[in-house]
Amino acid sequence: MTQAEVLAKLQTIFDDVFLEPPKVVAALSADDVDEWDSLIHISLIVAIEKAFGVRFRVGETEATKNVGELAELIAKRQLEK
Amino acid sequence: MALGDLKQLLLAGEPRAFWDALRTASASARDFSELIALSALRKRAQARGIVRPAEVGRVRLAVLGGSSLYPLHELLTHLLEAEGVGCDLHTGEFDNYAAEIREADSALYAFAPEVVLLLPAAQRCHYPGKLADPRDRAEAAAKAVADELLELAALVHERTRAEVLLGNFALPARRDLGELRARLPTSTWNFRKRVNAELALNAPPYVRICDLEFLAYRSGGLATEDPGAWFESKQPGSPEFLLELAREAAGLIRDLRAAAKKVLVLDLDNTLWGGVLADDGLEGVEIGDTSPRSEAFKAFQRYVLGLKQRGVLLAVCSKNDTVVAERAFREHPEMVLALGDFVSFKANWEPKSDNLRRMAEELGLGLDSFVFADDNPAEIEIVRQFTPAVATLLLDGDPAEFVGKLADSRHFEPRSITAEDVERTAQYRAESARQASLGSAADMASYLGSLEMRATVRPFAEIDVPRLAQLINKSNQFNLTTRRRTEGEVRELATNGEYLCLSLRLADKFGDHGLVSIVVGRVRGGVLELDTWLMSCRVLKRQVEETLLNEVARLAQARGCSELLGVYRETAKNGMVRDFYPRMGFTPAVLGDEGATYRLELATFCPRKTSITLVNA
Repeated sequence: MTQAEVLAKLQTIFDDVFLEPPKVVAALSADDVDEWDSLIHISLIVAIEKAFGVRFRVGETEATKNVGELAELIAKRQLEK
Repeated sequence: MALGDLKQLLLAGEPRAFWDALRTASASARDFSELIALSALRKRAQARGIVRPAEVGRVRLAVLGGSSLYPLHELLTHLLEAEGVGCDLHTGEFDNYAAEIREADSALYAFAPEVVLLLPAAQRCHYPGKLADPRDRAEAAAKAVADELLELAALVHERTRAEVLLGNFALPARRDLGELRARLPTSTWNFRKRVNAELALNAPPYVRICDLEFLAYRSGGLATEDPGAWFESKQPGSPEFLLELAREAAGLIRDLRAAAKKVLVLDLDNTLWGGVLADDGLEGVEIGDTSPRSEAFKAFQRYVLGLKQRGVLLAVCSKNDTVVAERAFREHPEMVLALGDFVSFKANWEPKSDNLRRMAEELGLGLDSFVFADDNPAEIEIVRQFTPAVATLLLDGDPAEFVGKLADSRHFEPRSITAEDVERTAQYRAESARQASLGSAADMASYLGSLEMRATVRPFAEIDVPRLAQLINKSNQFNLTTRRRTEGEVRELATNGEYLCLSLRLADKFGDHGLVSIVVGRVRGGVLELDTWLMSCRVLKRQVEETLLNEVARLAQARGCSELLGVYRETAKNGMVRDFYPRMGFTPAVLGDEGATYRLELATFCPRKTSITLVNA
């Protein structure tokens, strides 16, 4: 999957999870979105694992700084499948 | 309903539609993310002032534990709120529960919880010694772990009177130790099983076991464990397991005060046996040991009979000819259930919703205590539409799954097993016999006289506590204030000198009704304030209320009271007692926020005539 494809699929997850969904772009981070608290974050990660069929390793989602890095991580874990 | 539709309802600002949809969606959500999203929507709605139209109740809940309680508490709060139970929440610090419970000045006690959920971490529950240690050492260590948890439960209960939901330990799902896992008393597998058994067997009544061992077994151990989530944020298990755990805890909390189902109404053809009696004949129906399908139906009947033995009332509602249907039970040699197991038997061609209504009237029970099971989706739909208070269970498809479907419906989980439960079918059948003799008696007075009724009125006794709590939490119709109380609260009332707490047992020539009526009053300034007056509807119109009033008046005077003060708090179901106090000779006092209040002067009170003989113990 290209990053653009990952971002497009992430948008559909964000649309479900957020009441007022932000536009998903690589530079987007939790700080940019009022709704994006720690609870929403847990929910997002669980939903992403399910939608992309991936399993993140311990600690690695916490290390991503924005949606772009998260998309790269998703792509990397998908390649391992 | 999809999340998107719920969002639309929220943005449209329609409280009733939103909350109805939220409740349905939350009850069926099988996915962690989905439930978290629903919870976020709920909080958004509450922040926007879209409040729930009706609250079923409120609970002050403290969650304490050895793992992270976040986001577990979020799921739990949401499940309760979505069902209409307002939740005031206190969460303990991570793995600090022993100190929080032991220190009398902790935030826990300032919060004053009504329910405490205590979840120790399985990750720390293993035998501390050597693998080769002898059995008695391992067992003593397991007992010490259980004893400490029960001691903490006792301490927090003593200080707050709270009910304690105590989590036990999921078993490890990984293949450690091979065959020795099962043999060594020191293996984590055996150690946790031992701790769990010690907890369950020694738990006092105010402790409800929140059975993580069972939940993990049911979901599958591997699907339950999530070591990454433990290392990242000390989660007790996988997201799916958090959901299962939250659902279990929410169910336990609701059950502390909610009413259980009482009657299971069953269809016959393709529900209690395979095939259609009218087409296949008595010889053709599938029941017994002759084929796999007939074995499955027999096993289902056995399970249903087991429900009856623990106090569930059974009834039949079938589109059949009565004579033919009854003959099947009398004459088929493989039938497990007998006609005598049913309190009502409706085999006719009327709509099933009409039959259910008639049954409810005859048994003196509310439709909301009925569960209706049928293999035909059309019949289920009719009942849903025309008697929406009745819970329905579709038993379609493979009869081998019927037992599992009925058990997983969770409608008939007993809170406790009392002697009354076992006798219940006999009592309701005797009621039918009484109805028949009512037809023949010339008038009501001679009918009542002919019943040879005897009542015992006595203060709350320890042995009656489970039954008292059951009645307090189940009675809806003949219940003046519908005040629910836990077993712990009932026990406390019994020893509180300010209160007069009476129970009444009734027997007659047809049988023993058991404990059927309760009065709780508080003595204050020469007035007995009646905060609870309730009665089982199976003894309606038997002058039980008159008999009890005479005793209440007598005992109130003995305690120096000059007046009784009664309150009627209206609910959707207690219309039948709206005029109760005026009927008993009380005069209206004021109509306040709490409901209508009534007074009775004791100086001028004449004991009311009844046909019941008092045989006080």
